[in-house]
Amino acid sequence: MNKNMTDTGVVLTDIRKSFGNLEVIHGIDLKIAEGSFVVFVGPSGCGKSTLLRMIAGLEEVTDGEIEIKGRDVTDLDPSDRGIAMVFQSYALYPHMSVRDNLAFGLKMAHTPVAEIDARVAAASSILKIDHLLDRRPGQLSGGQRQRVAIGRAIVRKPDVFLFDEPLSNLDAELRVSMRIEIARLHRELGNTMIYVTHDQTEAMTLADMIVVLRDGRVEQTGSPRDVYEDPANAFVAGFIGSPRMNLLNAEWAGDGYVLAGGQRIASALSASLLKPGERVTFGIRPEHLSVSTTATAESLSAKVDFYEYLGGTQFLYCQLDDGQAVVAEHRSSIAIKDNEVVQLTCDPGNRRFFDSSGLRLR
Amino acid sequence: MTTAKVSSSKQRRARKAFRANGAYHAAGIAICLFFLAPFVITFLASFRHGTEARLPPLPPWPTNGLSIDSYLSLDTFGAGIWQHTINSLLVSLATVVLTVAVSLLAGYGFSRYRFPLKNVLFVLIIATLMIPFQSILTPLFIILAKLGLNNSLLGLTLVYVTLQLPFSVFMMRNAFDAVPKEIEEAARIDGARDLRLLVRVLLPLVLPGIATVAIFAFLNAWNEFLAALILLSSNEKYTLPVLMMAVRAGRLGAVNWGAVQAGVAVMTVPCLIVFLLLQRYYMRGLMAGAVK
Repeated sequence: MNKNMTDTGVVLTDIRKSFGNLEVIHGIDLKIAEGSFVVFVGPSGCGKSTLLRMIAGLEEVTDGEIEIKGRDVTDLDPSDRGIAMVFQSYALYPHMSVRDNLAFGLKMAHTPVAEIDARVAAASSILKIDHLLDRRPGQLSGGQRQRVAIGRAIVRKPDVFLFDEPLSNLDAELRVSMRIEIARLHRELGNTMIYVTHDQTEAMTLADMIVVLRDGRVEQTGSPRDVYEDPANAFVAGFIGSPRMNLLNAEWAGDGYVLAGGQRIASALSASLLKPGERVTFGIRPEHLSVSTTATAESLSAKVDFYEYLGGTQFLYCQLDDGQAVVAEHRSSIAIKDNEVVQLTCDPGNRRFFDSSGLRLR
Repeated sequence: MTTAKVSSSKQRRARKAFRANGAYHAAGIAICLFFLAPFVITFLASFRHGTEARLPPLPPWPTNGLSIDSYLSLDTFGAGIWQHTINSLLVSLATVVLTVAVSLLAGYGFSRYRFPLKNVLFVLIIATLMIPFQSILTPLFIILAKLGLNNSLLGLTLVYVTLQLPFSVFMMRNAFDAVPKEIEEAARIDGARDLRLLVRVLLPLVLPGIATVAIFAFLNAWNEFLAALILLSSNEKYTLPVLMMAVRAGRLGAVNWGAVQAGVAVMTVPCLIVFLLLQRYYMRGLMAGAVK
């Protein structure tokens, strides 16, 4: 299989989608490298599923062009695009055995019987569902059904796999093991995979590239590390990471300082961009805040409202002096109690600043 | 606790369960008898001797041995019982086939396609259920006469299909609505389109709906009397319900009750067969395992 990540697998050019007069996807441009694992992530209603369905051909494209492996597929039938899709609800054919479910697409394409048998056998052994081939979907557990659904995609030997929230119907434990299995599958098959989810853990663990969407626009694309450590704007900063990044209202004090929570905090921003008194957002992740009881020059003083103990780590839900809420992660054997006043400090390298429209200040 | 106590409480529970079960089954059997009685009485009475058939119907079983006199005399009416049974079967089966074919496509269209005035059209179709069909018999008669279809089984079939369609389209739309869209989309990705998609993937999933439509179409066409009486004029075209009226009218006011009972028995059997053949599709949870 082609492992050359520089080839383009899927190219979206100015993709738009309207339902009546309502435009829901506002011109998306995206290049997906051949063989990469791309995750579309975003809050519900951001258009990630619609975008995936447009790539699949299940939803008409209002404007723009979709290219798969150098072929314009914008107006092609779903079956002619070289794609296979795994649905959230599995969408197995309930009246057919697992074997027939897997073989159905090949039968429709008039593939020779021997070839069908070989491909079904290969797919079922990859997914370890050989012993289930003669059962009906109704006799399978959720995880097994999802395997069959993935198997149905594999036998088609598609250029691109599309996953529409495939794990959200499974319980937590199964979700983790299926996640690992999908990652393994991607390594084995080496196909381009596009995966839609609202689950950040899935996005972070599976993706070569994350596409963060909001309201039908791409907010940022990049590797999980890029998106996490170098967010392009306040939305991405707040969306990726759990618990989310603290975004504090602050004010530019001039001279490279920002006023937040009643404290002057140094920033590496160039002063020429901003006027003193301009509103900015100061972002800091909970795990980058260190908690102590002694005040230092740049520490924020905060009162603990309540805490969650997760074993090994403690999340403190605090209030700053000016009433803003802050979450801090406390990794220490020394327990901190409700209503305690703590001092939060952070490394200058972990501070992120955003302007009043949410764009990252660098 | 001693073992004696344990076993006595066990016995008490068993007795209680037995009483509850007993009451449940007794009630069920009583209700069954209530519904079965007319059929059983008719069926038994149809095997009485010719003279005995004219007597008051108590006891409801043949007292002088079994005889098929009633069936033989039923055959002397009209063009013979076989001819009329075949007429009825032709009309009913054709009604079933046409109704299922049209309502399957219409239900699929109404459920899955978007087109202008879709809901208005659908409501219009359903609204025709509110018109008593007796009130449109005269116009129907005239239309059929103009088409040259009066006194023909085909004309009667078309009328039955027309009367049966609103309910059937409604049923089939609901049946298609219950099929998850994802299954259809998965099939489209697998390369099944249009008619193949309908036949290979969707048809098995709406089978319970089709069974319901078929049962209703068959029973209504089989039992329909008024339209058949008005639209059919020659003796050899009569369907069974019309024949039954001829039988019941009797000669010189004397009703041949034996023949009537035999006719009722003959008319009931196909209904039972159709229902027993198709009823399992009512029961089958075909959708289990499709999604989630």
